[in-house]
Amino acid sequence: MKYIRTIAIMIIFILIFILLNMLLSPKYMTDLVEGSMISQYYREDKNHEVIFIGDCEVYANFSPMVMYEEQGITAYVRGSSQQLIWQSYSILEETLKYEKPKIVVFNVNSMRYDEPVSEAYNRLTIDKMKWSKQKVDIINASMTDEEDFLSYVFPILRYHSRFDKLTKEDFEYLFKTKNNTHNGFLINKNIKPVENLPTKRKLSNYKFADICYDYLDKINKICKDNNIELVLIKAPSLYPYWYDEYEEQIKEYAQRNQIDYYNFKDKIDEIGIDFSMDTYDAGLHLNLDGATKMSKYFAKILKDNYNLIDYRENEEINNIYQKKLTEYKEAIK
Amino acid sequence: MANIILLILSIAIYLSFGLTNAIYILFSTITTFFAAKNLNGKNKKIILITTIVLNVGILLFMKLYLFGQEYITALQDVNILVPVGIAYYTLQVVSYIIDVYKGRIEPQESFFKYLLYVIYIPYLFIGPINRYEDISKDLYAKRKIKSENVWNGIIRILWGLLKKFVIAGRISILISTITGDTEIYKGAYALLAMLLYSIQLYSDFSGGIDIVIGASKIIGINLKENFNAPYMAEDVKEFWRRWHISLSTWLKDYVYIPLGGNRCSKIRNKVNLIITFLISGIWHGIHYLLWGLIHGILVAYSKYLKTKWKILNRIINYIIVSLLWCFFVWPDTILALKMLVSVFTNFNYVDLFSNILNLGLNIPNIIVLVLSVIALAIFDVKKEYFINKIKTSKIEIKTCLICTLVIFILVFGIYGIGFNVSEFIYSKF
Repeated sequence: MKYIRTIAIMIIFILIFILLNMLLSPKYMTDLVEGSMISQYYREDKNHEVIFIGDCEVYANFSPMVMYEEQGITAYVRGSSQQLIWQSYSILEETLKYEKPKIVVFNVNSMRYDEPVSEAYNRLTIDKMKWSKQKVDIINASMTDEEDFLSYVFPILRYHSRFDKLTKEDFEYLFKTKNNTHNGFLINKNIKPVENLPTKRKLSNYKFADICYDYLDKINKICKDNNIELVLIKAPSLYPYWYDEYEEQIKEYAQRNQIDYYNFKDKIDEIGIDFSMDTYDAGLHLNLDGATKMSKYFAKILKDNYNLIDYRENEEINNIYQKKLTEYKEAIK
Repeated sequence: MANIILLILSIAIYLSFGLTNAIYILFSTITTFFAAKNLNGKNKKIILITTIVLNVGILLFMKLYLFGQEYITALQDVNILVPVGIAYYTLQVVSYIIDVYKGRIEPQESFFKYLLYVIYIPYLFIGPINRYEDISKDLYAKRKIKSENVWNGIIRILWGLLKKFVIAGRISILISTITGDTEIYKGAYALLAMLLYSIQLYSDFSGGIDIVIGASKIIGINLKENFNAPYMAEDVKEFWRRWHISLSTWLKDYVYIPLGGNRCSKIRNKVNLIITFLISGIWHGIHYLLWGLIHGILVAYSKYLKTKWKILNRIINYIIVSLLWCFFVWPDTILALKMLVSVFTNFNYVDLFSNILNLGLNIPNIIVLVLSVIALAIFDVKKEYFINKIKTSKIEIKTCLICTLVIFILVFGIYGIGFNVSEFIYSKF
C-alpha cells in the first residue's frame, strides 16, 4: 500500500511539474508574438499550394490573405524571427509531413548567417514547435554555447525566473493559445519612414558559408524529391544591406540549379513601395500597406508563371478563405 | 568491487579537470603512503618532517604563486597548474601521517585503499577535511546500498541544492551589483554586502557540504558534520567551533596543540591562537592573512567582547564575523579595508533604503530570499530534530518532501544562462 501511495504522490508531482512547465513558458500572445507564429500552423487546414519559409522578411512582407483575394492562391508563411537556413530546412521538412505544396518560396536573406545568432531568436522559432525529429534537429543545429538541450525539453529550466513576471495572459492561455497571424502574416500598421540608413560598411568576406550552401542544397533536394518547385526570393528590405556580392552568388546558384530567383529590392518602384509610408521600422520591414503591395505583385508572378489553381472557384476552400478574409479585414481596419 | 568502482570513478572525475592534476595528488599520496609505512625506525621523525615539509611546501608554493600572479607582473606569464582540491587533500594526508606517527592509527596496507581516502571525489573540492580514523571504517566497508540511506541522502542533497541555488544564488546577484561599483556602493551598501555575504557564503559552503554528505550517505559513507549553526555563536571563539568544523579541529589538533595549546603561559597561549589563525588565513589564500590575524586576536580576546545577554552577544558576533568577511567580498585587501571604513564614515543609509529594489532583486525575489533564510535559520537551530524526524518519517512523507524540494529549487533557484552555478565559493581555496 505504501508503494501505491508513493507512486500516487510521484504522479501528482509530475503533473504539477508539467503544469509549471506550461505556466512558466512564455505564451507569446501580447508580447513577442513572433514566438507563437510557428505553432499556429498546426491548427491550420493543411491545403496550401504555396509555402513560404525564411526570416522576418517573409512574415512581415507577404500576406497570404491578399494573395488569395487577388489571385485565389492558398499560401502559408512559415517564417519566424531570424530564421536561420537550417531552421528553414527543418521547418520545411516538418511542413512536408503535413502537406505537399506546389511551390516553396525561400527568402535568401538568411544565407548570410552561418552560426546561431542569439538564444532569444532560437527560442522564438523553436519553443512552440511540436516535438518531432525536425525539432530535435533544429535545436541541435541552433544552440548557442550557453544553451543546453534539456532546457528545450523542460522549459522550466529556462523560464523559471518568470515566476515573478506571470500575468493574466499566462493563465488565460495556459492550455490554448490564439492566432496572432493570418496564415503566418503578422500585421503591422505602424509607419516609420526611411530617413537615414546606417553606413554601408565593407565586409572582410562576402562569401556565403559552406553550411548555408549545404542547407540550400538540402532545401532544393527535398523540393525536387517531392516534385515541388523551389522559388528563391529576396524581400525588398533596405537594411540589413544585401550586397552585390551576395546577389551574384545567389544568381549563380539559381542559374546553376535552374531555380527561379526574384530580388524584389530591384523592383521597388514597379511594386509601388514608398519607403516614406510603407515601412514600420525605417526600411527593414514593410508595414501593412507595403506588404499588401508586395503580396499583390508577387501573387501575380506566381499565378502567371506557376500554374496555380484559383481556389476562389472551389466552394469548399473559398468558404474557409472567405471566413479568414473577413477576420483579416476586421484586423486591418 | 563497489569500492573499486568508487575509486575509478573518483580518479576519472578528478582527471577530467586536467591530467597534470594527477602528478600532484599522486605525489602526495605516494609520499605519505610510503612514509607512513616506514615510521617505525630511528629515522621516523626525519621521515615525518620531510614528508610534511614536502607536501605543505607544495600547498604553500601554490598559495604564494596565486598571490604573486596578481601582484607581480613577471609571474603573470608563468603558467602553473594549481591542482584541484590541493588545499583539502594536503590537510588529509598530513593528518594521516601525523596520526600514524603518533600511533593513533595503523598505516594502511593497500595503496589503492589509501588512494581512495585521498581522492574520494565528493569531498575533494570543498571538504569536509576527513581524518583517516573517522572515515576509513565506512570508506572500506563492504558497500551495501540501503533504501533508507538513499532517501535520506537525496533529501540532504536537495537541501544543499536549495541553499546553493535559492539563497546563495539570489544573494550573489545583490553582491555582484554592490561590488561592481565601489564608488557608488559603499557605506551602507558595503555593510549590506558584508551582512548578506555571511549568509551567502554559509548557504553556498554548507550547501555544498550537504551535497557531499548526502551523496556519501547514499553509498553508506557517514561523514562528520562541518557546521553547527555558526551564526548562533556568542563569540568568535565559539563561531570557530561551529564553522568549518573539520578545518578548525584540524588546525587545533595539528597546529594549535603542537604549538603548546593552552598548556603554557597566557601570553604564549594567545600567541599560539594567533599563529593558528594566521595559518588558517594562509590556507584560504595569502590575501586572507590579515583576516586570519584579526580572527586570531578576536579569539584570543573573545571574552572581552561578551555581554551577559545571549541574544546581544549573537548579534554582536554576527556583525563582527560579517564585517570580517569584507576580505572575501572584496579580495583586494586595501579595497576591503576601505569599504570596511566606509561603513563607519559614509552614512548613506537612507539612500540604501530608497535604492534597495535597484540592486538586482525585486520584491517577489526578496520575499523568496527572506522566507528561505528564515527556513534555513529554523532548520539550523533545530537541525538534530529535523534530521531525526526525517529519518523516522514514512516513505510517503519523504517522497513528498523530495518532490517539493525539487519543484521549489527548479522554480525559485537562480541558475541558467548568465549564472555560473557549477562553482562553489569554497572550492577555490
